[in-house]
Amino acid sequence: MNSVLDVVLSSAFLAAVLRVATPYLLAAMGGLVAERAGISNIALEGQMLSAACTGALVAGYSGSVAAGALAGVAVAVLLGVLLAALRLELGADAIIAGIGLNLLASGGTAYAVFTLLDDKGGTSGLKSGTLPTVTLPGIEHIPVVGEVLSGQNLVTWLAFLAAPFVAWLFFRTRFGFHLRAVGEMPDAAASVGIAVRRVQYAGLALSGALAGLAGVFLSMGYVSFFVRDMTAGRGFIALAAVFLGGLRPWGVFLAALGFGAAEALAVQLGTLDVPPQLVSTIPYAMTLLALALYAWRRKRRGVGEVAPASL
Amino acid sequence: MTTSPPTTLIESEDRREYKATRRRGLAVDLSMTLATILAALVIGFLVMLATGKDPIAAYEALLTGPLERSFRVGRWLEDATTLTLLGLSVAIPFRARQISLGAESQLYAGALAAATVAVFLPLPPVAAVIVPLVAAATAGAGMGFVPGSMKARLGANEIVATLMLNAIVVRVYDYLVNGPLKEPGSSAVHSERIQPDSALTPLTDWLGIPFGRANVGFLLMLLTAVALWLLITRTPLGYRIRMTGSNPHFAEYGGIRVPRAIEWSFVIGGAVAGLAGAHLVQGVYGRLEPGLAGSLAFEGIVVALLARNNPLVVVVAGLFYSYLRAGGDIMEQQTDVGTEIVVVIQAVIVLLVTAQALPDLLKRRLARRQATAIGEAGAR
Repeated sequence: MNSVLDVVLSSAFLAAVLRVATPYLLAAMGGLVAERAGISNIALEGQMLSAACTGALVAGYSGSVAAGALAGVAVAVLLGVLLAALRLELGADAIIAGIGLNLLASGGTAYAVFTLLDDKGGTSGLKSGTLPTVTLPGIEHIPVVGEVLSGQNLVTWLAFLAAPFVAWLFFRTRFGFHLRAVGEMPDAAASVGIAVRRVQYAGLALSGALAGLAGVFLSMGYVSFFVRDMTAGRGFIALAAVFLGGLRPWGVFLAALGFGAAEALAVQLGTLDVPPQLVSTIPYAMTLLALALYAWRRKRRGVGEVAPASL
Repeated sequence: MTTSPPTTLIESEDRREYKATRRRGLAVDLSMTLATILAALVIGFLVMLATGKDPIAAYEALLTGPLERSFRVGRWLEDATTLTLLGLSVAIPFRARQISLGAESQLYAGALAAATVAVFLPLPPVAAVIVPLVAAATAGAGMGFVPGSMKARLGANEIVATLMLNAIVVRVYDYLVNGPLKEPGSSAVHSERIQPDSALTPLTDWLGIPFGRANVGFLLMLLTAVALWLLITRTPLGYRIRMTGSNPHFAEYGGIRVPRAIEWSFVIGGAVAGLAGAHLVQGVYGRLEPGLAGSLAFEGIVVALLARNNPLVVVVAGLFYSYLRAGGDIMEQQTDVGTEIVVVIQAVIVLLVTAQALPDLLKRRLARRQATAIGEAGAR
């Protein structure tokens, strides 16, 4: 037990948590924005994957990391708008359309990589580089804090700013107010003159941008190349964090951070004498339990469905 | 729900009309399905053309390849069996309008149960096949019950619940295959082989045509589809599930216990997905392999959607879909087009299926234009 504590309290572990949690934080915030706008974004996974692939490819061919990141985020935004269009213009079920977009991303990225590079596995043959890390002057030399924060990727910093940004957006801006109104009661929102569709399109675009940033981090921060299906279900976990966090920015932030910490812990414990597969089920089992408890409490309180109409 | 034979002229006429409507509905379903597939194939063609491949050669391999040799036909039937069972397994909860994404956990639980029984439990000949199948269906049903009752009793989101359960079961499966169930003394990661008596008889043995690993599981799948169709269309439980799906509030007022119907839809779906796992163990691999199902569970969802959750149409959709998968592999061997294009085609199919409102939208536009034209004429 002592060794587990040693691991958990080490600054290297805390730094790893921040790194591992980054894609969850960003994607979960993306899922939250879409959910609050009244359209479930189950395509987070596909958006991350497309952004990761586009980012690595564009950065590799253009030689510009910034261009890669922008292109990656742009593709994810496009997918978000496409999901909104399928839902709003063609009356598609958001969940099923999302499954379709995930398939499209999985097949499309693999097809693109194979066509361009003649490689089934990924873009490791392409030199694409990584996004810059941030070292704040002064912080480096503070013990523990310096070791944890110093040298983290730019996107990790953005990921931790995403929660306050979304909270500010939701509760302090006109757009956020409209977004929440639209998600909760589109008819009432329309009756007071809110352009419901435009708000939902904007919400889904923002959702895509956040998921795109998460994807870009995977291929241009975590590692420096794209691997086929490298998101490995992170989009779905992020979606779980959205519900686990009770659809509130800080709740979702904590849930996503928890998933990151649990994953980092599972990696660490793998080096000890515990089967890593079993350790890595813990966050999912906790989510399942929390989901049941949350639903049970809500039911006992007699509150009706709080979830937006999209579910 | 009691149906006595029609006695009066009006009743028999009503009945005839009802049957005609239903037949028309099936015809519409089938033709929309065909149109969707055709459109997706055209888009795939354009993608290949745009990326500088030879789409004609590719499609030739894709569309004629699977039928060229009998073992390829066998490969197709074997894949269709698993995929159709998975499609059926999600079609039932979908009928109750429950988006269950849990086929993966149910399949792996079924595979584990079937393999454990078929490896370790000595049984007389016929029972050796049946008991593992029953064990798999039970395990799958159990995995369906958990998210099903969470949704039905507590209102917990079934998408999140099934996804979490998938993640858990796949990891536990991985642990068991790498640990306790790993074949002792083998360097490769897989379980021991099942007893020969537990294997589903290969079709080759019956028909004398070399059909590879295709087996009687195919017939079992056909039976399951018919049974589920009867269940949905002809039984009180099926009626309750359908009513719950079409309007839960109305169903509630009609005296249907909606939570129970939801729960049952998950349990039945889970049992069928469990059978898919048993088919992989007893018919295809003969043991537990890591990553047994690949991405099949999610593709079952596509099959169900394509078939609009009608169990009989699911069989057609499953056969078609696995034909594409088998053809994709052959296309990859014979041309420079990767099998990924098949996934793209599949994705386009899903997106087109969801965009069902397209025809409705056109109709509505037309109606609105007509209405305004009449309005203007009236104003004049």
